Amino acid sequence: MNPEQLLDCERVAIQVAIGAGAMMRTARQAGRLEISTKDFSKDLVTETDKQVERSVFDRIRQHFPNHRFIGEESRFEGIGGEKGLTSEPTWIIDPIDGTMNFVHNNPHTCVSIALAVGGQPVVGVVYGPFLDKLYTARSGAGARCNGQPISARKNCRQLSDALVIAEPGIFKDPDDRRRDLANINAIVWKSHGLRCNGSAALQLCCLAEGSADALWHWGIHVWDYAAGGLILTEAGGVVLDTQGGPVDWCRRRVIGASSLELGQELSATLVEHLEFERD
Amino acid sequence: MDAKELLRCERSAIRLAIEAGAMMTAASGRNKEIAEKDSFADLVTETDKAVEKFLFNELKRLFPDFRFIGEETSSRVGLTADPTWIIDPIDGTMNFVHTFPCTCVSIGLTVNKVPVVGVIYSPFLDKLYTARKGSGAYCNGRPISVSKNCNSLSEALLLCEFGNQRDDEKKNAVFRNLEAVGWLVHGVRCMGSAALNLCSVADGSADAYWEFGLHVWDMAAGAVIVTEAGGVVMDTKGGPVDIMNRRILGACCDKIGHELSAALPIHLDLESD
Repeated sequence: MNPEQLLDCERVAIQVAIGAGAMMRTARQAGRLEISTKDFSKDLVTETDKQVERSVFDRIRQHFPNHRFIGEESRFEGIGGEKGLTSEPTWIIDPIDGTMNFVHNNPHTCVSIALAVGGQPVVGVVYGPFLDKLYTARSGAGARCNGQPISARKNCRQLSDALVIAEPGIFKDPDDRRRDLANINAIVWKSHGLRCNGSAALQLCCLAEGSADALWHWGIHVWDYAAGGLILTEAGGVVLDTQGGPVDWCRRRVIGASSLELGQELSATLVEHLEFERD
Repeated sequence: MDAKELLRCERSAIRLAIEAGAMMTAASGRNKEIAEKDSFADLVTETDKAVEKFLFNELKRLFPDFRFIGEETSSRVGLTADPTWIIDPIDGTMNFVHTFPCTCVSIGLTVNKVPVVGVIYSPFLDKLYTARKGSGAYCNGRPISVSKNCNSLSEALLLCEFGNQRDDEKKNAVFRNLEAVGWLVHGVRCMGSAALNLCSVADGSADAYWEFGLHVWDMAAGAVIVTEAGGVVMDTKGGPVDIMNRRILGACCDKIGHELSAALPIHLDLESD
């Protein structure tokens, strides 16, 4: 894909993301929060999730009818019936990242749209309509928030200087819970502090703009970190596998950091490494 | 204190909070002198001190007979029945140092030891929370209210903090409490500012919050904002709040507050302010 095509894709993604944000605002104002549960009482999906995803798919398809799609609510819908992330241009959508926050009138929720080519994100757009923040990036062109260039923090190389992001309390399985908490306990007291806002995509953007320094996640899906991951790397940060190697977008886990050294120290300090079924 | 005087106090606090916010914005990302207080995670900046000095001087000029408690300069003077301004110049200093936007100036006024005016301004979030006793709570001039559809703790979105103290007793309490409630609820969030956590309960973006180890200047303003928004503040054990007693639980309603209180296994007793 040449730079002009990439720019075109980014522009479409931005337009579509803004439209999706408007749908989220309308739904919240109307109090339209019909909820059903997915796997667990905390894994909520709203009618708005589904409407936004349908709308995003339809609008992008109008521009790029031959591209593939992976979306949280419709999972791995693709042309030709293939599953998973291939090397073909593939749009990866989370219609509402942070659905729990959305339901609770909390502003930390967003739409996340990524385009992957060759199995790697090349365009990333994350829009938080209640924070009024539009994060964008395309491969080789840097990262921006509301049009202004952003950059990950430049001088944080160790955990003891770092503000860390993690998400306590999301696992159903008691053993996963114990291990999750053991990791938090291993990291938080060594760092400047722990923050969590409930949206993986926004958290990666937070690192991209230098407001925090490192994060880790298990159990998330490709649609949670594809766009944010690109925004972070284009802002000068890194994404890694939780065990310190290169990130695997379908392995359901990620470390984000403002520097490679910090990311590797975080990886080495985690005491438990969880595995989930691949996307 | 009569209604007119209360309004004058609130208006002064708002004007000064906005100026303090401008000082924070000007200094953001440029902190050169950062000192540690009790632990490596307990920081104070030159901006904390400058903002407090500014607020102290202005409030002294406008209200010469009022007392003053401020985090950086007048922290151990005790609370009397006299009208007392209670200031945290920068709540969420760690966030301020890291340019994480959840940081604010908090200005509370107590009369007879009860918070009657609360003004909390976060310049990076562009949110000005205000309340005075009997007149409701507002964010950027619009009325706010606690969430009304949280029926049980299992449906709640909670706020908690790991805090900036690193002693073993505190670390253990935080860990055990999180372990006990984290999976009972819809979700747990940590944003790094006690004052803004109380505002989040007040505007309905979270349902409950608890913390041990905070100080009177962290909660004086937020307490009146929560109650004027229709919520409750209480001691973590469920009784009436004592804002000098280093702990607080704020909630959208009594029921959720008491359920959360009962679910916390460890209640720390700390030295009063």
